[in-house]
Amino acid sequence: LPRSQIGMGNSSSQLPRDDEIETIAHETEFSRSQIVRLHARFVSLDKKGRGFLERDDLKNVPELAVNPLGDRIVDAFFTVGGSYDDGAFASVKRLDFRQFVRVLSFFQPIDRSKKNVHNRRTDKLKFAFIMYDLNKNGYITREEFVVILNSMVGANITSDQLDNITDRTFAEADMAKDGRISFEEFCKAMEKTDIEDKMSIRFLH
Amino acid sequence: VPSPLAEHAILLASTFLFPPVAMVVIVVILLATLGKSLGLREIYVNILIRIFEWGASQIKTTAKLKRKESHVPLDMHIESDEDEEEEEVDEEESERKSARSDGYESSGGFSRRRRNSGASVSSRTSSVCSLRRRHGSGNNIIRRDTQLNLDDDEDDLSREILPVNSRGWAVIGDSVDFIKNGIEAIIEDEVTSRFEAEQLMTWNMLTRTSTRFFQFVNWKLTALYMAGFIFRYACLLPMRLTLFVIGLVFMLVSTAVVGIFPDGALKKTLNHKAMLTCHRILSRSISAVIYFHDEQYRSSSHGIAVANHTSPMDVMVLSTDNVYALIGQSHGGLLGLMQRALSRASSHIWFDRSEAKDRSAVSKLLKEHVSDPDKLPILIFPEGTCINNTSVMMFKKGSFEVGATIYPIAMKYDSRFGDPFWNSSEQSWGEYILRMMTSWAIICHVWYLPPMTRGEQEEAVDFANRVKKVIAARGGLVDLEWDGMLKRCKVPPKLVAKQQEKYANRLSRYTSTCEPFPRVHGSTPNDEAEDEGIAASPPISGYNSLEELPEDVIVSDEEDVVVETRPLPHPRVRSRPVSHVVEAIN
Repeated sequence: LPRSQIGMGNSSSQLPRDDEIETIAHETEFSRSQIVRLHARFVSLDKKGRGFLERDDLKNVPELAVNPLGDRIVDAFFTVGGSYDDGAFASVKRLDFRQFVRVLSFFQPIDRSKKNVHNRRTDKLKFAFIMYDLNKNGYITREEFVVILNSMVGANITSDQLDNITDRTFAEADMAKDGRISFEEFCKAMEKTDIEDKMSIRFLH
Repeated sequence: VPSPLAEHAILLASTFLFPPVAMVVIVVILLATLGKSLGLREIYVNILIRIFEWGASQIKTTAKLKRKESHVPLDMHIESDEDEEEEEVDEEESERKSARSDGYESSGGFSRRRRNSGASVSSRTSSVCSLRRRHGSGNNIIRRDTQLNLDDDEDDLSREILPVNSRGWAVIGDSVDFIKNGIEAIIEDEVTSRFEAEQLMTWNMLTRTSTRFFQFVNWKLTALYMAGFIFRYACLLPMRLTLFVIGLVFMLVSTAVVGIFPDGALKKTLNHKAMLTCHRILSRSISAVIYFHDEQYRSSSHGIAVANHTSPMDVMVLSTDNVYALIGQSHGGLLGLMQRALSRASSHIWFDRSEAKDRSAVSKLLKEHVSDPDKLPILIFPEGTCINNTSVMMFKKGSFEVGATIYPIAMKYDSRFGDPFWNSSEQSWGEYILRMMTSWAIICHVWYLPPMTRGEQEEAVDFANRVKKVIAARGGLVDLEWDGMLKRCKVPPKLVAKQQEKYANRLSRYTSTCEPFPRVHGSTPNDEAEDEGIAASPPISGYNSLEELPEDVIVSDEEDVVVETRPLPHPRVRSRPVSHVVEAIN
């Protein structure tokens, strides 16, 4: 079979193996053609053709680099991607294709007719929570919140105003008044926001 | 020592083969000189199209058979069949569309592509519509909801700004928008795809594109592919190499002869003829089939011709119809030899490495050349780097500051027959040339556009964008704000800071940054604004403007990238707003 590439870089453009597609389709509810396209995307991000992605590979996407929360998003992506099924998190350095698709599956729109609607919602909230929780101890502290807010507005707000916004946020969400927000408190406060729509991406079939 | 029989055979073969080959070469040169064409290449191209379409149908039918055999759940079946039918119908439709059709918007994906075909109706341009449709949107993964824009006027993360009851929590809500945008960008973004070879819809029988399509379909296809392979390497390649060498020799010789003449009208005419002929020979050496449209706008007097950049062949392609002056860095070796040869016959601008970094020196040279009415129009590619011909990226403003008339040119290649895009970080020059010479053909459509000049009050950057828009619209390319240099270097922090500023503006519009519990606050200068904070206020920024931020990335040219980074200072103003700004938020 003539598969050799003549003088062309990036030779890892093979299609994913069928069994790999089956497993992923089973795990994530993506369709076969979606998985194939995601694989093409994976390959184009994996410029060195190593078969896995590192943080820099994602940070090289210009639109993500311009995003004020870009770094945090990449970090959350790698943390959630490396997580185990029981929910324990490990911040990993590399993601393979299967983990890549798994993270993206959290952003599928929620299908109300299926079961596990609540789980889906929790998964989405978890991603957002991890983005805030820098040290991964399960709580968002004031300092962590200030860091995120600072990333979003940069030099355009005085630190007094930063404090004010933080106070306000914590006043609303921190039910236990212990100066930090736990995941349950976070979920409760997010009930007002339409997280399902905000964190759902319209995948084309 | 070969046996006498073998020797006899070789001699006979070369006698019979050589004259035909020699004749072909002579005919080609003659035709090139006269500027005519036998139309052979067009026939060749049409035959190839038929073969590709047959190949594509082979792949589809076998794929369908395969799927029916394996036990795939029913709904997946239906999905993909529908996709295929859609594709086929679309392709047929566009084949039948007349040349006057006004364009369409691609359904999937975020970018809207308006494609207008030219005023001239001819059988050639009707194939243009199908050409553009070939690389459609079938590969999109998502329909994007959000987009971070680089320019000022559009509101990004577009959604309505509603006054929010819980003002603090608005920030968390916004951060989730940023998350969504980030994840969408990870899945699909406008820039990364521009630096890879364009995706083809059907296979074009070249090894380099085979892995996506060809997974051993059937014997017929393989046989055809092998035949094509042999044809390309054994027949086309030697012929093309010969032509290439002849073209080069012709260029060197003719420019030397023209160089003898003193500057004047005669020299200019001779140069014109010589350049056209020599580029036509060279273009036949890669089997280039070039269609020129709207020739009435072709630049004849001095000025700057501006085009989108896809490959090193661009100069040659454009030079088969018109003569230009070139500008570039002087190289050594073969390229340097050619540069010197060209300079003998007409004036071009070659600057050396040290001058390349000095923008004002280059711009001075440009100005001098452009103001001389006897000189030829200069050909410039303002993107600065090769893009894969699906989009037009940011134009550098240097050539638009000079004040000359700009002659925009739009170029669109049909990459079904051979993709001319060169990613210099992935392929070397030699590999690239080999690829070019073993492709089926290089097909290009060139549109000349009416000349444009800078408005009185117009900034160079705005003028550049205006020209870029026109070129993108004509060529059916996506108009992007992103800098082509992102191929090699990182996004400068300046752009991030701009996004931060935009967000801070939005935040101040619907949320209040005042304290949740009233306290005596000493030093606010403006007490009248209430805590609804709806009035838009200028951002309280540590810098007066974005221009003050350090320029963190400096790139000089294709070959070397100089990246200087200086850490961004972080001004933290403690309880004292910057005095010159009126604070409307309280």
